[in-house]
Amino acid sequence: MSTPVAVQPVAEPATGRNGPRPAQRLTGFMPLIALVALVAALAVADPDFLTARSLTAVARTAAPLIVLAAGATLIVLCGGIDLSIAALASLTTVLLALWLPALGGLATPVVIAVAAAIGAVQGLAHVLLRIPSFIVTLGGMSILSAVALVVSGAGTVRVVDDTPVAWLELYLGGYVPMSAAMALLVVALIAAVLKATPLQSWISATGYSESAARLAGTPVDLVKIGAFCVSGACAGFAAVMLVSRQYSGGPTMADNLLLPAVAAIVVGGTAITGGHGSLWRSLAGALVVTLLRVGLPIVGVPSAYEQILYGVIIVVAVALTLDWSKVSIIK
Amino acid sequence: MTVTSGTAASRRIFRRGAAFRDAGPPVALVVLFLIFAALSPQFRSIENVQNIVDAAAVLAVVTCGITFVLMMGSIDLSAAGVMGASALTVSLLVANNRNDNDLGLLGIAVAVVLGCAFGCLSGLALVLLKVPSFMATLGVSAIGLGVATLMFAGVQPNITDAMLKSWAIERFLGLSYLTWIAAACILVGWLIQRYTRLGRYAFAIGGAEEVLTLSGVKVKPYKVAVFALAGAFYGLGGVMVTSQLGAGLVQAGNGYDFSAITAAVVGGTLLTGGRGGVLHSAVGVVLVMVLTNGLVQIGVSPYWQGGVEGLIVVAAVAAAVIPQRRRNQVVK
Amino acid sequence: MSVPAEREPTTSAPVPALEVRGLVKHYPGVKALDGVDLVVHQHEVLGLAGENGAGKSTLLKALVGLVTPDAGEIYVRGEAVKLRSVVDAADHGIGMVFQEQSLVPNLTAAENILLGGEGGAVRRGVYRWDVMRRLAQEQLDKIGSKIDPLARTDSLSFADRQMVEIAKVLRIEQRSQHPPVIILDEPTSVLESKEIETLFAQIRRLREFASVVFVSHRLDEVLDVCDRVAVLRNGQSVGEVATAGAVPRELHRMMIGSTGSDDHYHENAATAVEAEQPRLSVRGLSGQTFHDIDLDVAAGEIVAIVGVHGSGREDVCRALFGAEPTTGGEIRMDGKKISLPNTRAACAAGIGYVPAERKTEGMVGPMSVADNMTLTKQKARCSGPFVAPGKQAGLVDRWIERLSIRTPGRDTPIQRLSGGNQQKVVLARWLVGGDIRLLLLDHPTRGLDIGARSEVYRLMRELAANGVATVLLADSLEEAIGMADRILVMNDGRVVAEVACPNGGKPSPLDLVKEMV
Repeated sequence: MSTPVAVQPVAEPATGRNGPRPAQRLTGFMPLIALVALVAALAVADPDFLTARSLTAVARTAAPLIVLAAGATLIVLCGGIDLSIAALASLTTVLLALWLPALGGLATPVVIAVAAAIGAVQGLAHVLLRIPSFIVTLGGMSILSAVALVVSGAGTVRVVDDTPVAWLELYLGGYVPMSAAMALLVVALIAAVLKATPLQSWISATGYSESAARLAGTPVDLVKIGAFCVSGACAGFAAVMLVSRQYSGGPTMADNLLLPAVAAIVVGGTAITGGHGSLWRSLAGALVVTLLRVGLPIVGVPSAYEQILYGVIIVVAVALTLDWSKVSIIK
Repeated sequence: MTVTSGTAASRRIFRRGAAFRDAGPPVALVVLFLIFAALSPQFRSIENVQNIVDAAAVLAVVTCGITFVLMMGSIDLSAAGVMGASALTVSLLVANNRNDNDLGLLGIAVAVVLGCAFGCLSGLALVLLKVPSFMATLGVSAIGLGVATLMFAGVQPNITDAMLKSWAIERFLGLSYLTWIAAACILVGWLIQRYTRLGRYAFAIGGAEEVLTLSGVKVKPYKVAVFALAGAFYGLGGVMVTSQLGAGLVQAGNGYDFSAITAAVVGGTLLTGGRGGVLHSAVGVVLVMVLTNGLVQIGVSPYWQGGVEGLIVVAAVAAAVIPQRRRNQVVK
Repeated sequence: MSVPAEREPTTSAPVPALEVRGLVKHYPGVKALDGVDLVVHQHEVLGLAGENGAGKSTLLKALVGLVTPDAGEIYVRGEAVKLRSVVDAADHGIGMVFQEQSLVPNLTAAENILLGGEGGAVRRGVYRWDVMRRLAQEQLDKIGSKIDPLARTDSLSFADRQMVEIAKVLRIEQRSQHPPVIILDEPTSVLESKEIETLFAQIRRLREFASVVFVSHRLDEVLDVCDRVAVLRNGQSVGEVATAGAVPRELHRMMIGSTGSDDHYHENAATAVEAEQPRLSVRGLSGQTFHDIDLDVAAGEIVAIVGVHGSGREDVCRALFGAEPTTGGEIRMDGKKISLPNTRAACAAGIGYVPAERKTEGMVGPMSVADNMTLTKQKARCSGPFVAPGKQAGLVDRWIERLSIRTPGRDTPIQRLSGGNQQKVVLARWLVGGDIRLLLLDHPTRGLDIGARSEVYRLMRELAANGVATVLLADSLEEAIGMADRILVMNDGRVVAEVACPNGGKPSPLDLVKEMV
């Protein structure tokens, strides 16, 4: 009962004022501006920053974050959110570390497939049970963390023979870290597939206006489940990168990547309300976040400020990118 | 007709369907308790029951706060951060091994006010910047953790304040002081919910926010106030954890945010708002504690606790959504 | 004190409680109000009648401050006022009982009645339930309602909730210290006949101390309860009728006006329908708001469904597209059964749906014209699994030209187009695949100006000539009669009449109204 038509905005003018707001226009370039400004600032603060060594270090640190954020971006584009990515990545590091001895080279594709399946299950729960995505994934986060604790015995699982994942530690052409190159490849691949197929349209339509998309016969449910599935796979791949770096898996290893990943997405300018944004933006966002993380100690700020910065970034970036016209009542 | 008193009136406002629905969680609690009691002799021991009640204290206070936010249809993920910040604050303000402060009750009050301020921040981000509450509170939680880390500064502050330490140790009528504090919080929460405009409007905002606006009620201040109230409860929760641990830790609030949501949802508070309340949540808290304690007593690994909570939240939300399915409803 | 003689109110005509002069409100492409004049006398029940889109709801919203008029004046007791919000209106003694009820379901009746102005019932933010109960009881006593003020609102019956709402509106009496003007928007649409009797008794009672504006689709009710009826048409006041001795027919004639002699509906382009096997065949379709719907539509036929608000026709339309859950019945396209409820299956079977809410359900605003047009029929723009940009561009440009859609380009976000052009893009969405067999048009001309309407009508004719079957939920009876080959009348979720509507033998709107109410 009682949703009076009266309070809905009456027949908004169709022409003119629906163009991008100045704030939106600004956010279009925000990640790039921030990226350039950060690099410049860090180069000034620390002349050693622009050397190959420190740049490759940044790239290697950024790689898992990029992959994690790229996957979750798909869900945000559909208008949802995935809070379980970090916990899923943690669980996957444990699984990978446990299965490497038995499965060898096969372990990597298997754990990525498992992570994708877990993502898909969450997507199914969201779509079929009609539970808001943030609740499903919040619950998922809790469940996955518990599973990770149980299967790992709440301790770090060492990887004795890491040859099957060592290739991620190689350098392409001597300079480019393989993990960063793979992260770039993942983003490029997903972005290309979206662009070349109807998926882009479907995802945007779902994110901008789910009811309109549904009434246009768009397979909204499948698109959402697919997004969760890809997000899961990305979390899995990020976990592989983490294991290759740390020679171990741990039940909370990736947990501290949740905030940076969410921050990367919103800093990139992808609107939390759905529809507007892209994976490339999240790539830029992830680089910004990584630079901040690496740069704070360089300019002499205690790393404790990192958390505060994430918090501020998330709130401000969401406020800037939010599509205010779409949500009349914000809960 | 004689003028009815408050309690009689409160009984009156529940309709039959709601009464039946409200009976669910208490019945589940009793059934669950009986099952575990039958399965495990340790579980039904007096000490264990005391344990359950004492262990529920902090969660009860946090849940009390989050219930008001959930009643509005918003969500609050900031408990962990706020509790961390308030834990560090209180441990540095009362007698401790890091500095010469010995503010006692005043220190505790400051910690609670700090929590209140963090809540305010979430609320302001929601109403002024229009950031959805789950995002705003996620950010505020990070800020709280950051502030806590700054105060922690690498050295753990151990408290030496006798009063604060006694909260977790001393008992009155078989229950720890913390438990009595929690009970008082529930009572205060219930009074706020029942007898103040803030509480009633929080309830109404969850029911039909647009109607309030249409009736000329300015809802924004109330929303901020509700978040601030919740923050104060988290602040107190942080103080209580500090009392339990005897030290201020950044991770003081770890997991409480989600456990509190679980407890509230299980107690019958709807995430869409407009239903439930402090008493419902209190039942939910005990339910969650009985479940986790009981599972441990019958030999399930304590690591499963989070998993069980995750499952109950999803199940409880799904069960609450089923009767509400409307055509073409958009679920984000 | 000297007052100019001509300004002095004459004793025979006291100052009207509410007066509206030359009220104008534009929406893009439409003039919702085009110089409306209205007078509400004190202690009078004034009926307001008009077809859908005549401007009734905009006028009411202007009276309670939800809509700011572009021009014109509103006078309350002879004094010009600007109403900026509902609270503003309440301060001037104008209150409205909304069509969809505006009560907070999980609060008590008393709280709802006093909402926003609790007075002594809340001291420093603390509730005093006994005072609240007493104050609410006073309001309820005014209308003689026996409801327990402390009952939860969602535990009350619909009629009781309406009483609560009236009691709530009456609170404005305290605010303005004057006899209030109470607006009732479609109060009877969901009431049983016995409840309607009670409501009418209530309205007559209100007249003792207030003025009432009563809006209803049911003309017999309007005539029954009102002293005078003002009629709106196309955003203008077209006259008023004293109800004593008037009949619905008279009123309805004023609402509809004279049909223009021009070929607005392109009736010359109408083609004869050959009745073979029906293209769409519906048997016993039932859902929450409709029951046992049987419907056949032949290829090239336009069937309109008419009915008042709440007749269930919108839900039937959505159910045909698989967007509304059904409890029974079947839908066949050219004899083949369609699985329900499944919009994808409907699309695959060649069914297209143009929703009434264009902005929220019809189009994806920020997406380009091209993407909106090809959203459904992805195959039309793809080679294999991949989007072929060239193919899409060609296809979209062709349709932009064919439907003469005025847009800066195919990549322009659709929200920047005018309403008519947006609607054409939404229609084109179903045409680009070349496999459309049945179109479901839910108020396809809502909010469009005359020119755009005419173009939509022509397109409908063209599609019908090409063998597309059409189900039309028209914006007005006139439109239904003008466009349809056959009209089904729905009432209370059932089809109650079927009226043939051939060229040259069109029924009159009054024939339809008889069945609708």
